[in-house]
Amino acid sequence: MRALLLSLLLGAAVLPALAAAPTDPPTPPVPSTTDGLIAQPWYRPHHLIGQVAGGQGMVTVGVGYTTLRGRLDVDVLTGYVPRKYSITPMGIFTGKATYSPWTLGLGASRWQVRPLSVGGLVNYTASRGMNASLDGKYPKGYYWWPARSRAGAFVGGRVAYELPTKANGQPRTASLYYELGTNDLYLVSLYSNIKALSVADILTLGIGVKVDL
Amino acid sequence: MSFLRVLCCSTVLLAGCTLLESNPNQTWAPPTAQHLTAQNLQRLRAHPKSPTDTVRFVFVGDSQRFYDETEDFVRSVNQQPGIDFVLVGGDISDFGLTRELRWVHRRLSGLRAPYLTVIGNHDQVGNGRAAYQQVYGPLNYSFRYGGTKFVCVDTNGRESGFRGRVPDVPWLRRELADTAGVRRTVVVSHVPPTDSDFDPQLIPAYTAAIGSSPQVVLHLAAHIHRYTAEQPYHDGVPYLTTYHMGKRRYLVLSVWGAGQFNLQTVSYGPAA
Repeated sequence: MRALLLSLLLGAAVLPALAAAPTDPPTPPVPSTTDGLIAQPWYRPHHLIGQVAGGQGMVTVGVGYTTLRGRLDVDVLTGYVPRKYSITPMGIFTGKATYSPWTLGLGASRWQVRPLSVGGLVNYTASRGMNASLDGKYPKGYYWWPARSRAGAFVGGRVAYELPTKANGQPRTASLYYELGTNDLYLVSLYSNIKALSVADILTLGIGVKVDL
Repeated sequence: MSFLRVLCCSTVLLAGCTLLESNPNQTWAPPTAQHLTAQNLQRLRAHPKSPTDTVRFVFVGDSQRFYDETEDFVRSVNQQPGIDFVLVGGDISDFGLTRELRWVHRRLSGLRAPYLTVIGNHDQVGNGRAAYQQVYGPLNYSFRYGGTKFVCVDTNGRESGFRGRVPDVPWLRRELADTAGVRRTVVVSHVPPTDSDFDPQLIPAYTAAIGSSPQVVLHLAAHIHRYTAEQPYHDGVPYLTTYHMGKRRYLVLSVWGAGQFNLQTVSYGPAA
């Protein structure tokens, strides 16, 4: 009796599914809103960037890509520093990766916060008047660092506002971010002067906006 | 608005301007850290000397990336009696960055006596020349104190590729010839002419200009990070080099009379 009841219950559960299966149209794949894999040509950037300072230029613009479920941004930027603050104007070309493990929604609002980002960058400063440190003027090993190429690291955060979703269902945001960082030469300076220099002495601040395309 | 509030606002603003750095090679410095050569010469002239007075000064070199030691240096120099000024023989920075010059200045501004500098080769890397010009002033300059003239000259020839223009020998000749009211002259540079970083084609002209000027008492340089004293050109002019900041030693020099000088070495330890 119990066995019969069980098979009936099972049958009741399975039968409608079996019956419905042939008539259901195949469901189209839903574009993911979380995995960051965006269905568009690979070369098309995911966002535009505008930034000031942070060692990457007085005014800096760039484009970038988002991956790893929206947690990793890989950006390329071009910055400018006018002659007033240099011997000749500087053009600064930066490659940067920013990892933000957490995104917190703010209640039912369209605001999101990424409380922590960590990142790294490398850049090259082009400026005709800058004195190169590794060229033919010097014997090999005279200076150990390149004057024009820098590596940097930073921590930061980001506040984002959700924009209307794209036609393909991709979410879009406009965000404001900051980067508190330093560079290789400042770090070397701190490392050899633990008593006299503090972390605050070697910090730089960058502030920027990112808008998803 | 109270004075305190203005001060507070400007401090926050200044910190913000420093933080918001466009590039480490940028040459921006706050007004208080600009034209320090002129500022310090003004301080020096506030205590005038007669031509017959002895001039007593500290000479040290290469503060580059020795911030810990620079603090101890300031403590030691401030205990020396009768120091008229401090002379830093170049390589103030290590990477030619404005922020480094400001880190050094923050410490050297604690000296009771004014301090003056000559540019070093490390100060010319990247945008270093412009950074030095903004923070300190001209790369070649001279000043008189009492009856002594100090001629500070950029001798970092390798930094301009040994193209026969650094040091500026015609400028040096003019400075050495202008001796009205001068009893003795001290030439100060970073790279000594005996070093391989001095433009070889200019050594004869440079040393001849100095050797043929009867007023020259001493040639002072740094760069090689140790004390040396010799007369390499057999012209009666002693060429001295001084310790680098990391050595925790410096020279105290006194010059007087027609060409007399006295030299002392001071050693100092780290702060207890």
